[in-house]
Amino acid sequence: MENGAVTQSEGKDPSGFLSEIIGNPVTVKLNSGVVYKGELQSVDGYMNIALEKTEEFVNGVKRRNYGDAFVRGNNVMYISAD
Amino acid sequence: MAEPRDETSGTVSEPLDLVRLLLDEVVCVKLRGDRELKGRLHAYDSHCNLVLGDVEETIYVVDEEDEEDVKTISKKSEMLFVRGDSVVLISPQTVSF
Amino acid sequence: MLFFSFFKTLIDHEVTVELKNDIQIRGVLKSVDQYLNIKLDNIQVLEEIKYPHMSAVKNVFIRGSVVRYVHLPANAVDVPLLEDATRREAANQAGKGK
Repeated sequence: MENGAVTQSEGKDPSGFLSEIIGNPVTVKLNSGVVYKGELQSVDGYMNIALEKTEEFVNGVKRRNYGDAFVRGNNVMYISAD
Repeated sequence: MAEPRDETSGTVSEPLDLVRLLLDEVVCVKLRGDRELKGRLHAYDSHCNLVLGDVEETIYVVDEEDEEDVKTISKKSEMLFVRGDSVVLISPQTVSF
Repeated sequence: MLFFSFFKTLIDHEVTVELKNDIQIRGVLKSVDQYLNIKLDNIQVLEEIKYPHMSAVKNVFIRGSVVRYVHLPANAVDVPLLEDATRREAANQAGKGK
């Protein structure tokens, strides 16, 4: 996987990766297939996520913008640093 | 466990703080099963159980024959408890399409 | 515990519980527990024609996990008190998900 700007994550655990990418643009995919792109404000141990400047994509098509968005962790499939 | 934090400040140190800042504000909630709610947030907990006031619920129903044809059903409720396990996303009402 | 306490204040009020299978049951809230399981008395199923199998039932125990919504009587909810209780709960819970 390509890390782009985040290169210092070798040897860290997954939650270390998450805390490292806070403040960066990320892509979050939910189990439903819906994708959110935005700036990662924070994550907790349940994988609850707070995003800023969020864009919502359904089937690859942009649906809306949310200023801020809280995503409940159980719906998250993955978080990836753009 | 708890990090040093200022309860009154507007900083977001964990995701649920974002929801805390939305108390007594109009919020948009996306739920499982193609449902959305818009209403004033009066209560929440760590499971995302919610109480919303003056709520409008929108249900998106996809036509069985023609999947392009999506109908919306709209319902109102004065005061609504929402069980957290149905919640997908919570955001301030300021949504642009 | 916030919502457990909240529901206890609504005992003896009429509520409508909407289940995840879309059935709506109106009745008097008789008890609630920490899982938000709910007991209703004098129940009536909305859209009885669609869901006739409950028409003989007078009271129900509903497992909390099958609930989608509970429609509440707005006049039975003290909104400022509820919001204060929520802020207190949030302060207690802070950092637990880390």
